[in-house]
Amino acid sequence: MTNWLLSIDSSAGTTVAVLEGGVQRAEINIPDNMSHAESIAAAIANALATAGIKANQVSSVAVGRGPAPFTGLRVGIASAMMFAEGAGAKLFGVVSLDAIAKSALEDSALLQSLSETTPLLITADARRSEVYWALYSGLTKAGAPIRIDGPGVIKPAALEVLMQERGLSPIITSLPVSATKLGQVFEAQLIDGTADADVTALYLRSPDAVPTPAKKVTG
Amino acid sequence: MTESWSIRTALESDLPEIMALEHESFATDAWSIENMRLELLAHHTVYLVAHENEQLIGYAGLSKVPASTQSDIQTIAVSPNARGRGLGRALMVQLIGDARRLGATEMFLEVRADNPVAQGLYSSLGFEHIDTRKSYYQPEGIDAWIMRLEFARGGVGREPIVLGIESSCDETGVGIVRGTTLLANVISSSMEEHARFGGVVPEIAARAHLEALQPTLREALAKANLSLQDIDAIAVANGPGLGGALMVGVGAAKALAVSLDKPIYAVNHLVGHVGVDILERGKIELPTIALLVSGGHTSLLLVRDLLDDVELLGETIDDAAGEAFDKVARVLGLKYPGGPEIDRAAAGGDPKAIRFPRGLSLPKDMEKNRYNFSFSGLKTAVARWVEVFENKGEEFNKADVAASFREAVVDVLVTKAVNACNDFGVPRLLLGGGVVANSRLRELATERCAANGIELRIPALNLCTDNGAMIAALGAQLVMAGRKPSGLEFGADSTLPVTTVQTP
Repeated sequence: MTNWLLSIDSSAGTTVAVLEGGVQRAEINIPDNMSHAESIAAAIANALATAGIKANQVSSVAVGRGPAPFTGLRVGIASAMMFAEGAGAKLFGVVSLDAIAKSALEDSALLQSLSETTPLLITADARRSEVYWALYSGLTKAGAPIRIDGPGVIKPAALEVLMQERGLSPIITSLPVSATKLGQVFEAQLIDGTADADVTALYLRSPDAVPTPAKKVTG
Repeated sequence: MTESWSIRTALESDLPEIMALEHESFATDAWSIENMRLELLAHHTVYLVAHENEQLIGYAGLSKVPASTQSDIQTIAVSPNARGRGLGRALMVQLIGDARRLGATEMFLEVRADNPVAQGLYSSLGFEHIDTRKSYYQPEGIDAWIMRLEFARGGVGREPIVLGIESSCDETGVGIVRGTTLLANVISSSMEEHARFGGVVPEIAARAHLEALQPTLREALAKANLSLQDIDAIAVANGPGLGGALMVGVGAAKALAVSLDKPIYAVNHLVGHVGVDILERGKIELPTIALLVSGGHTSLLLVRDLLDDVELLGETIDDAAGEAFDKVARVLGLKYPGGPEIDRAAAGGDPKAIRFPRGLSLPKDMEKNRYNFSFSGLKTAVARWVEVFENKGEEFNKADVAASFREAVVDVLVTKAVNACNDFGVPRLLLGGGVVANSRLRELATERCAANGIELRIPALNLCTDNGAMIAALGAQLVMAGRKPSGLEFGADSTLPVTTVQTP
């Protein structure tokens, strides 16, 4: 039976892909990072139409868990969750930075230049002058990126210090997330036995609210 | 043409007449009286008889085993002199309704291959010919058509099953309705998570929606005894409300619609509060004034038509009434949410002890802001009053403060709502929103409406607070009115005006 996968990531812009047995059949990218609620469902519908399949043929859904700023990430996860519910598909979560690592590690020269002191450092914009980051040492046999640290959120300067302290001189890459790569990470994790049904959002930050006492109104 | 017959459930005493018609209708293969008696009395069957001039002129029976989602038409017969007047259809429509009520999702029947009149009736009800049984009717050896009606798909008189999703504030609501009938209304609230902040924190609410979505949906489907495949349309509140919170529901609802290949309707949250009355009465009496009061809204609407003519008469220019309750509760050292706490604290207090200000109620305000509200000044007045005592180190009567504050809020709300009824000559007032839980609001509204000859509608509390059922109910109204579904591109609109009942 053909294995159709719907892959969704909303950690930055919107990216949606349909894969058949790990092979891309459609991918739709909408770089705008402020319009997830408007665009994801139509992107899913278009990707399915391009791949020439109906929703109920999808057997698995993989969704990027971030890390990402709050609002857009939630829309992607909510969409994946409900699509899986309606299509009767299995739902899996993938760390979005792993998908970027997958893209970067397709460069075989880059892959071969990695060493214990030269890992791959993936960063992504976390807003508020911070970045999300994770370190990778290479790929598993099945092709899943091997994450050795992270994901975390940090100021760029502090990240530099951290790398120095550890004696690391990483290869730094920041590429856009591709839903196809995210789907392929999932497929590889499935073979490795590390595929994860956890789709909890990786916000990495607490809500900003702090409890405050009631204000005085008289001077 | 009005029917001159009456249809009721068959009784054992109908058996002789039924058997007479059975033999007349099915000369060669009639059931025995024993079999017919067992059928009539069985727990898993529904048998109907039609009488005209005290004569039995038709009967029909349905089988629906409790554990199954399938139902079967066991038999149907109409007396020869009563044929061609729609009695067969009437019996079928009623049995279809009974089968749905019993939880069936499809209905099967057999019909003689040489009976095009009956086949035509069943086709017109939505049945499809799915199989043929060779030589089923003996001794003539006539084939039987197996016909099936899938309830989720169509048929005459079919009411749409609509699933509604609500996520505009701190309640994740999933409701399911069939036409104007409530099937499920499940609400998951993140209220407790907001308690230590003294008010709804948008980010916490949005995070909670994402976590509550799937379990709330599953519980609603279980309560309605339906699967997602039975749903005909999805409705979602896309505003007004908290943007980040709304987006979770909007994203979820759209993905559900795409995965099920069903239409989606983006509906106005506030109009949903008005439309919910349909679930209790089967219809809504219009025109009506609606007073919607919650932690996020204080709005006075004039509704002439639920789908086409909703006018915002006024709203709060600062705090919502529910917000004022929360803030004053903090001033009085009471917990969140403030409404019920103040209700409790006010018990035994004198509502006339302190004359707190009524916002926008001075003569000049009653011209310019006749239907608008303001609670910010009231909140400050209470805080100031309390602080004066605290600064002096004196005790004050908390019950009197709570009762007087509550009276000020409720007095303004009801006064302005009743004014609107009188000004527009609309003798109806509908309340909605979480603050309706406040006992004094209900009491005063009841009193003043009675005094002014206004019919007051207060839906059940779980339909007054934010819920998915009201969204589903409004969605169902749009479906039944033949409205075009919304596209997939609509977004969440935190300030969606009430005039936009459906976002295209």
